[in-house]
Amino acid sequence: MNHHYFVFFITLGCVTFFSHLLRSHLELINIALLHLTPVLVVALRGNMVSTFFASLAAVALFNVLYVPPLYSFTVYDLFYIWTFFIFFIVGGLVTFQAKKVRSIKIKEILLNALSHDLKTPLSSILGNTTLLLEQPKLTPHSQQEILQEILSSGEQMHRLVASLLDNARLQEGESALKMDWCDLEDSLGVALQEFRHQKTELKLSIPHDLPLYWGDQGLLVRLFVNLLDNAFKYSPPHQTIDIKISHMPKEFHIRFFNRSSPIAPAQIESLFDIFYRLEGATDIKGNGIGLFICKKIVQAHKGKIEAFSLKEGISFHITLPILKHPPRLSKEAL
Amino acid sequence: MILIVEDDRSIATLLVRSFEQEHRKAMIADSKTSALRLLQAYPFWAIILDLGLPDGDGKGLIQTIRKKMNIPIIILSARHEEAEIVACLDLGADDYVTKPFSTKELFARIRSARRRMNDAPLEQTLYTAGELCLDLKTHTLTKKGDFIKLTPTEFSLLAFFMQHPNQVLTHKRILKEVWGLGYQTQTQYLRTYINTLRKKIELDTTRPVYIQTESSIGYRFSQFQE
Repeated sequence: MNHHYFVFFITLGCVTFFSHLLRSHLELINIALLHLTPVLVVALRGNMVSTFFASLAAVALFNVLYVPPLYSFTVYDLFYIWTFFIFFIVGGLVTFQAKKVRSIKIKEILLNALSHDLKTPLSSILGNTTLLLEQPKLTPHSQQEILQEILSSGEQMHRLVASLLDNARLQEGESALKMDWCDLEDSLGVALQEFRHQKTELKLSIPHDLPLYWGDQGLLVRLFVNLLDNAFKYSPPHQTIDIKISHMPKEFHIRFFNRSSPIAPAQIESLFDIFYRLEGATDIKGNGIGLFICKKIVQAHKGKIEAFSLKEGISFHITLPILKHPPRLSKEAL
Repeated sequence: MILIVEDDRSIATLLVRSFEQEHRKAMIADSKTSALRLLQAYPFWAIILDLGLPDGDGKGLIQTIRKKMNIPIIILSARHEEAEIVACLDLGADDYVTKPFSTKELFARIRSARRRMNDAPLEQTLYTAGELCLDLKTHTLTKKGDFIKLTPTEFSLLAFFMQHPNQVLTHKRILKEVWGLGYQTQTQYLRTYINTLRKKIELDTTRPVYIQTESSIGYRFSQFQE
């Protein structure tokens, strides 16, 4: 957003500069039209609010510098009030159209990436089944290996589809969240069930008196599943993964740490972008949607997620603000 | 014989094959109407019910079956349909598995539901599971012979679990049975007491072995029989 305003002010500055140079050659109406340029620049990138302020700023500058009496906001002619409305309406229409075009583009990218991510495991399933059907004389050992391959591709597709379904729910906005009292330790436990065959060791640190958290249990489980999936995939074998949950008066903190080769700071920033994969990670099975969904889940709970590259590995920090305090239950005597 | 109510042919065939491995015959109904017709004609051992059927919601079928006969009903459903699953369980379905499912798990569910149906409710006062032993008469719980102190609510919660082992229990049902009418939506009670109970009976509270969480649905107390 800040970037848009920056571009806007640069354009506005340029327009003003040229208008000033050529003011004796240009008529007022041409200068007005020139001032529409920065509004259109914002309209193409931003939303209605930014278009409104851009129109306001452009018309104000135009009014002060070129409309007599010069260097004052006094408007004698109603014409210049109309200029503002016309600027805003033109800008608004452009914003509306640009948004439509943008969403079509995002859908296209999504579809392309999706078909790729679904096709990879699918071709492994199809290829391996064909092999099994056509080569009945394979040794039991290699048969077993092929079947394992099919199973893991199937699981990969399942996880992707589950992620997409959660993503669809997140798109619907806050109304689609099923808020209830959650036990974060329990949510983590459910997520761990999905990885019970993993041999990597986990070091868990969860306080004994962790209070209940007001959130969407299903999505929190998905958050943990995606973070665990990520940690298992990118950490070298036989290295422990550290998970820590803690609570402060106003927020919960969740930390995931796994050992890995160092990651460049520029890459860290785009980790949470959709379909972003680390360079050189093409051999690791997965899709670029896991961490993106983590970010969306955390945002839906009004929290934030950050990644830090440390010397020995990568650490994810999640802060979830407490949206509602659990009611105090009276303690029962034993 | 097992009735499979499923309109997807490949899943239905997979189920028939796996049942054959267990020496159980199965019949396929691809719609609600054909399921009802078959139910009139044969005595079934269990019903596997898919929720999305061409001629309507499978939920309606549960009520019809429950009114007329005593057969275990296992729901086959997609993972994201938790609300549907809860509704089915509250209507009287015995258990559920989500797609993609393991056939081994499905058998375990059927067998356990079948066992519950056959065993007439005994006037039992002693319940055991793993290292736990709960005595309703003396109101005591022991783990490996050592006494564990429980509050009255913790005790009734654990007793309810141990009286319904290996069975999925919805939040609503537990709250209603343990806390009483009017508490069905007070999940904070349930979450808090499950948490304190786990601290007393489980070795690792993050990876519990007795009280298992069924995300967004309820809990299942595991008795280690399978």
